[in-house]
Amino acid sequence: MKDFHGLIFAYYTDPNLRELVSVRTAASLPFCGRYRLIDFSLSAMRNAGIVDVGVIMQRDYQSLLDHLGGGKAWDMNRRVGGLRMLPPFGLPEYHRGNYAGTMEALNAVSSYVKDINAKYIVLMLGDMCANIDLSVPMEQHRRSGAEITAICTDHNADGFRMTYLRGEDGFVENMLIDTVNDKAGVVSLEAYIINKDVLLAMMEESREQGLYRFHKDAIAQWLKEGGRMDVYVHHGYAALIRTVDSYYKANMDMLDPAIRHEVFPAARPVFTKVREEVSTYYGVGAFSRNSLVADNCIIEGSIENCIIFSGARIAPGAQLKNCIVMRGCTVGEHSSLEHVIVDKDCTFSPGTVLTASEKLPMVVPKGTNI
Amino acid sequence: MKKNCIAMLLAGGQGSRLYALTQNVAKPSVPFGGKYRIIDFPLSNCANSGIDTVGVLTQYRPLQLNSYIGSGQPWDLDVNDGGVYILPPYQTSGEKGSWFSGTANAIYQNIGFIENYDPENVLILSGDHIYKMDYADMLREHMEHDAAATISVLQVSMEEATRFGIMNVGEDGYINEFEEKPKQPKSDLASMGIYIFNWKKLREYLIADENDPNSSKDFGKNIIPSMLANGEKLWPYHFQGYWRDVGTITSLWDANMDMLSPTLINLYDPDWPISARSPICPPHQVGTHAEVIHSIVTEGCEIDGHVENSVLSPSVRIDVGAKVLYSVLMPGAVVEPGAVVEYAIIGENTVVHAGAHIGAAPDGSEDWGVATCGPDIEIRAGAKVAAGAMIFTGEEV
Repeated sequence: MKDFHGLIFAYYTDPNLRELVSVRTAASLPFCGRYRLIDFSLSAMRNAGIVDVGVIMQRDYQSLLDHLGGGKAWDMNRRVGGLRMLPPFGLPEYHRGNYAGTMEALNAVSSYVKDINAKYIVLMLGDMCANIDLSVPMEQHRRSGAEITAICTDHNADGFRMTYLRGEDGFVENMLIDTVNDKAGVVSLEAYIINKDVLLAMMEESREQGLYRFHKDAIAQWLKEGGRMDVYVHHGYAALIRTVDSYYKANMDMLDPAIRHEVFPAARPVFTKVREEVSTYYGVGAFSRNSLVADNCIIEGSIENCIIFSGARIAPGAQLKNCIVMRGCTVGEHSSLEHVIVDKDCTFSPGTVLTASEKLPMVVPKGTNI
Repeated sequence: MKKNCIAMLLAGGQGSRLYALTQNVAKPSVPFGGKYRIIDFPLSNCANSGIDTVGVLTQYRPLQLNSYIGSGQPWDLDVNDGGVYILPPYQTSGEKGSWFSGTANAIYQNIGFIENYDPENVLILSGDHIYKMDYADMLREHMEHDAAATISVLQVSMEEATRFGIMNVGEDGYINEFEEKPKQPKSDLASMGIYIFNWKKLREYLIADENDPNSSKDFGKNIIPSMLANGEKLWPYHFQGYWRDVGTITSLWDANMDMLSPTLINLYDPDWPISARSPICPPHQVGTHAEVIHSIVTEGCEIDGHVENSVLSPSVRIDVGAKVLYSVLMPGAVVEPGAVVEYAIIGENTVVHAGAHIGAAPDGSEDWGVATCGPDIEIRAGAKVAAGAMIFTGEEV
């Protein structure tokens, strides 16, 4: 029997991601030139040897399904176990509205959770960017006697909002809700290793009480009742992607080689759906500075501080500065784009000028032709 | 399981004229054109032509090739009723095992494999050519003309014709003569080493050839000439398009440089993808000092120097102040600050330390050539490697 099973929450999409999520869930947001956000949690699990993973989703998950496929990219296409997509099933009320919280999402797939044949369950969010080495907290959890091990960070990582205060023994004594304070405690990355029986008990209780929020209801209650929560501190980069700004900033953070090497270390690769594609070609007049460029692009214009996904065609004379350009976009001759997030399959005819600012990057929705 | 056509890919050659690049790997697994290995071209052509059963005959240094091909998944060749099979030489009961003694012998030794699929036709390919070709079209002509064998031919110049096997064609369009490297060529149709045979016919000829002690067990030298001598119908398939044999350092470098000209061979065509087993690396980065001009660059590269007219494979690193001109850098190669690499091929994971200088621009002299460093070499700081030099793995430079 395998000891660990993974569950990834991909049901929640923050409306502050605006146009970026009109065609997808947050977990399937394209990131850093070739990835989708969910790749981080899937790869963390895979790199720690967890290949039995359920992905909890609720709506607009077509692009997510397309990305996950059979789970091959993460070695999760197993004959026994492997990757399972978990859209709502069972009770009809879960087909309406949004899940009121993580505990409702878990209850919506309770038959799956009950059937998990592992002692410990690793819970992670599908919309964060971090390369967490799960093997260390997994071993720690096995030895410490804790019922829950919270994976935290020692700095105020963008987007996270719960802080745990620890006692002398290192176990959690208190939780600061909606408060981020890396001086007083550690900030939760909302990734947990939890004993299956504890999780099932929490699910049961939340259903009975109709209280479905994970931290504010379930964890708070459980801590009050004397639950033993250990902490593992992840020292590296982490960001939760819940707004257009945080999406833009996290992408731009990857231009910093130190951060990028930490998020994409050779020892723990981030796996993603592989597209068979050709190299990127730089033309005779191309100019490129401080940018990340995926394969299958033809760059004949100028790019600076940009993240360019595959299939881009940047015509001669075009100038892109501080832009994120998703897959399959064409920028015509002498166009100029600054601080623009261009969603997939957009075309800018020659001479188009779009200028936004770092404070308020502009989003051009998928499939736009200008 | 009956198949109309299966492919047999000859990938056992040592590729001795690539010297340091094939010191430890077989020629078909030499990196090419940034993302690829040479064998990706015939394998992708098979997949794109609807040929889903491919036997890959290996012999020389097959380890890397075996793991590269794996289940065949990158080429969609992981199918239930076919797929890609690695076929090494093997021992049979009561006999000593024997190496493949020629291209025809390699197929002869795998008659059992071929019979499993009971094919009407067998396509014979080699693992050292760069081209895009629809084998289904060739197969159509082969069947239309009821040929015992169809040989793919390419029009070359009369001067070049002296270096190829040349097919002379009669008025009826069938091949009536074959000359290996003729001094006075009668035609300009060169064999590309790509054959489709009627399997029943080929089987007879393979067995007869095996029993001939004077035969060198080669398709070009023995099988084709004896078919012609027996009056079999041999049809030429006229191929038009890009085709290069990359058996030498110069031709390998030339063909890599051709990848910079999409008019010669278009790798961006979504209808004919050339697939490869890709490492999973982040997109490449161009740094704050980088200049990249007329070059191809792929995933995992980190460039902060000057790159011009060059082909970069995955995870190549070019540091600030380094210059790379007219060169081919294989996966994981590193060029440190201030180093210069020009008109050179740098093998996998070779490190050119700071200030070293590899290769030189053509100066018109006869002994000029492309400088080549094999894989896993450390070129020490400040070292100089002359044009045309060949540095083997294990050498100290």
